[in-house]
Amino acid sequence: MWNAEVTAMIFKGIWETIEMSLFSTLFGYAIGLPVGVLCAVTDKGGIHPNAPLYRVLDFIINILRSIPFLILLILLIPFTKMLVGVSYGTKGTIVPLVISAAPFIARMVESSIKEVDHGVIEAAQSMGASNWTIIRKVLLGEARVSLIVGVTIVFATVLGYSAMAGVVGGGGLGDIAIRYGYYRYQADIMIVCVVLLVVLTQLFQAAGMRLANRIDRRRA
Amino acid sequence: MATGRAEDSQNRSSRVKSTGAAFFIEESRKAKAAIAAGRFRSGMAHIIEVKDLCKTFETKDGTVEALKDISLDIDEGDVYGIIGMSGAGKSTLVRCLNYLEKPTSGEVCVEGRKLSELSDRELRSMRSSIGMIFQGFNLLMQRSVIDNVCFPLEILGRSRTEALQKARELLATVDLSSKEKSYPAQLSGGQKQRVAIARALASDPKILLCDEATSALDPQTTQSILTLLRRINHEMGITIVIITHQMSVVREICNNVAIIEDGRLVEQGAVLDIFTHPRSRAARRLIVEGKDPDEWNGETEDKPEAGQAESWNGAARQKDILKEARKIRIVFTKNSSFEPVIANLILQFGTPVNILRVDTRDVGGTAVGDMILGLPDDEKLQESMVEYLKNRGLEVEEADGNVER
Repeated sequence: MWNAEVTAMIFKGIWETIEMSLFSTLFGYAIGLPVGVLCAVTDKGGIHPNAPLYRVLDFIINILRSIPFLILLILLIPFTKMLVGVSYGTKGTIVPLVISAAPFIARMVESSIKEVDHGVIEAAQSMGASNWTIIRKVLLGEARVSLIVGVTIVFATVLGYSAMAGVVGGGGLGDIAIRYGYYRYQADIMIVCVVLLVVLTQLFQAAGMRLANRIDRRRA
Repeated sequence: MATGRAEDSQNRSSRVKSTGAAFFIEESRKAKAAIAAGRFRSGMAHIIEVKDLCKTFETKDGTVEALKDISLDIDEGDVYGIIGMSGAGKSTLVRCLNYLEKPTSGEVCVEGRKLSELSDRELRSMRSSIGMIFQGFNLLMQRSVIDNVCFPLEILGRSRTEALQKARELLATVDLSSKEKSYPAQLSGGQKQRVAIARALASDPKILLCDEATSALDPQTTQSILTLLRRINHEMGITIVIITHQMSVVREICNNVAIIEDGRLVEQGAVLDIFTHPRSRAARRLIVEGKDPDEWNGETEDKPEAGQAESWNGAARQKDILKEARKIRIVFTKNSSFEPVIANLILQFGTPVNILRVDTRDVGGTAVGDMILGLPDDEKLQESMVEYLKNRGLEVEEADGNVER
């Protein structure tokens, strides 16, 4: 049963998984990064406290984060169809992945930014820096190691979630594993897919941590 | 006598001696200070004016009054110290000077402009003319030394080449040119503070605020940072405001000082005046007892709490001795230290006096002697002795058993 067709399918699956995870992480950050920064900035003790705004953002993030991904995937089908035309395949999976990843990313970003030493922010304020400058040059700059570690964690999580999308015909390695391993009892194909998912996760995790360590200047 | 105190004064004396070796430098410094003092008196505007400043914080446990009715003026070119124990509100006070903290009431004027009337943009541009350094250095850890110094210039929108040139000049000023490409984590505390000073100077400020800038440093490094600050004050004419809890820092470089206790300004004036005539309880503790504010805790009462450490007994015993007879405090300045006054006093009256404490300290580059004498019981004799000392040009004042007033 191992023929060129299966091999090609698995290679396609690898690519689809990477594609989904990469784009979902990317779009997730497009939403989650600004929201996370906004949370850190508007929270009590931030550089521009705004309690009502923070409470609203905090509430939305909590709601979205408490919906299980599998449910969200199904709940979002009409929205996904409206946005990209289809509710299955790689394109159809990226939409719920982004919606699910964005609040998670926002929380990661918020906590990374809150780690920045308040004294350094105060120093920048004493130099006459505007809040916008402080966000760009101090908050994001000083938190960059923690942010990159965050990206690595988010990517691994999204990669795992993308496999779940196989349930609704989402494409990628997870889809193959479910279709062949679960529905057709071809455990060997499933095992290969799972091993590949593990290898992918490990690779990205290691690359992310290496990068984070390399750009960290806090060590003597 | 408490041996700790004796050792302490020995240390101080030896330091003064070494200062004496640099006599000529000190002389020229004093001359400059005198010129500066003359300039203040001729009605030069105050660069910082604080009027009736109050600051309260709302906390879970209610309202905390951090600052109460503080008014003070700082002259251009001055080195002004603000001393008090931690929690006295001095850090809040210095943050009100650049509006990092907005006062609850009262007014802060910098270069004649009321900070409360400035728009956000104007306030930011005002802040860039007020440099600030901190106890924790607060450098950007992910930026190299040179990029840290460039940072304020980036904020001002200067070009990279201009910023780099300026930053290199300043690193040369603080003697750190060789560390240009290093990162803060690779530097010692003193080096980090030098980078912070270079960074604070990058925007050509007129004022430098120092918030406990030497508190995290060892005595030797503190000396070198103070020397650097003094040089900056003299060579660049930058007004320096120093927040500290160490009297030695104030003595070392400040011309004027304000003493803050429990959010109130209890005494202010020229360091030498306060040193020779401390009036407030806080000042007397700083100067007569030689205690830094962080040593004040629990010592406001005469009797130490039961169960205190052995050294307490020593201190208490010393206080008992100090209570015995009438005591006077004499301050020797340069003019009065040529004649062996005490020896002559004893010869003159044929009665011994009890030398209870002697100390020599460096006050703004001037060696000042400080002695507490216990006089004989005879009141007439006491009066004549005081008279004798006053006639020799010495500052004489009563030092009652409990140094509080």
